[in-house]
Amino acid sequence: MADALADERAFVGELVGDRPAAWDLAGELPVELLQKLGAKGILCAEVPAAFGGLGAGSLDNGELTAYVGGLCSSLRSIMTSQGIAAWTVRRFGDREQRRRLLADLTGGRLAAVAFSEPEAGSDLSAMRTRISPDGGGVVVDGRKKWVTGARYADLLVVLGRHGDGAAAVVVPADAPGVHVEPIAAPLGCRAGGHANVRLEGVRLPASSVLGGGGQPLSMLFTTALTYGRMSVAWGCVGIIRACLESATGHTKHRRQSGRPLAGHQLVAGQLADLLVAEQVSTRVCEHASRAWESGSPDLVIEAVLAKHVSAGHAARSAATAVQLLASAGAEDGHTAARAYRDAKLMEIIEGSNEICRLILADHALAGVD
Amino acid sequence: MTAEQAAEAAPISAQAVEEALLAFLAERIKTSVAVDQDLFGSGLVSSMFAMQLVVHLEEAYDIAIIGPELKLDNFRTVQAMTALVLRLSAARDG
Repeated sequence: MADALADERAFVGELVGDRPAAWDLAGELPVELLQKLGAKGILCAEVPAAFGGLGAGSLDNGELTAYVGGLCSSLRSIMTSQGIAAWTVRRFGDREQRRRLLADLTGGRLAAVAFSEPEAGSDLSAMRTRISPDGGGVVVDGRKKWVTGARYADLLVVLGRHGDGAAAVVVPADAPGVHVEPIAAPLGCRAGGHANVRLEGVRLPASSVLGGGGQPLSMLFTTALTYGRMSVAWGCVGIIRACLESATGHTKHRRQSGRPLAGHQLVAGQLADLLVAEQVSTRVCEHASRAWESGSPDLVIEAVLAKHVSAGHAARSAATAVQLLASAGAEDGHTAARAYRDAKLMEIIEGSNEICRLILADHALAGVD
Repeated sequence: MTAEQAAEAAPISAQAVEEALLAFLAERIKTSVAVDQDLFGSGLVSSMFAMQLVVHLEEAYDIAIIGPELKLDNFRTVQAMTALVLRLSAARDG
């Protein structure tokens, strides 16, 4: 069971090799590599086989996501975006859209999902992007911020207002009126292709609107984001594993004052902390994935919990790894240096620490009469 | 009667679905609602709970609510959700 995606994992490992450091420094991923992974269905592994996907469960895809996250968080963030896009199409698309778009997303075309706006992050009521009727089709107007993977994307899944509800519209990145403006130097996931996107009078056929639109904005947003939270949570497990591996490797062999670094109790204590972080985060992600696989309504809150716990542990573990590796890990591009910057971002995206804690507090209070 | 038991009693009645839904809502949001109350307009449904509702109905009644069925109008009230469950159950069994 644990090796359900062993071939895919080997394929990724082979393609990625030791290149993540250079990708981080250059701030760019090779798009042909993304297309190759996409064409194998690896970027959205939970798409059912009937639609051309790998048909992985949440646990197996989670372990694959952790593996990729341990290699390169920029690449993992592309996986998260493609996965959210595929999940949103699966949930909200009609029969024809599911067939057509899931074939695209498992056939080498790349997607990004546009949620946030300059004035609207988690405050959905402030969302301004509008999908309006236009003859037989629709016209899309709005500004989206910090869209992961937009720089590489062929398709942008854009959330916006639609009638008195909301809709997700699939916008070809080369459609007239679409302006993708890459963010020059993000703190973390530097090669993740983040961009701000302006949509100005983008005219599209009605078939671009998933399921015809008119969904509750909250349902659309939370459904899409819940997949993203699962993916980020598992990606953080990968970051923590990479930190644990480089910290134990370094401290076991590097000697200080006549013995290995790991023989110093203050160092050993931090190695224990890393192991605890890895185990706790893995378990909370497994728990959320089981809720996802069994179709429990609790999956929504479990995904928030998994994301919050794993992101916090990843940020602390990365700081610990840099501390233990010292100069060896402080060079930009190094696993620990990347983890340090990437993990900080994980405490911000798909629901910041603060938003996650508010949701969890609400959940705690919901049980009180 | 729980929703799961309700799903096994064939054919399910509107009353049984309504009662199970009201119980689910009372348990989750700690508020008694009327069957024709606008859950989204009244601010009773958080963004988290909107998705929980969908997953709950799918699991409890062995139906798939996807694509055009995920419209606001199908979830606005307990009555609307009940009609949705009955229609999708009938389509599945039909």
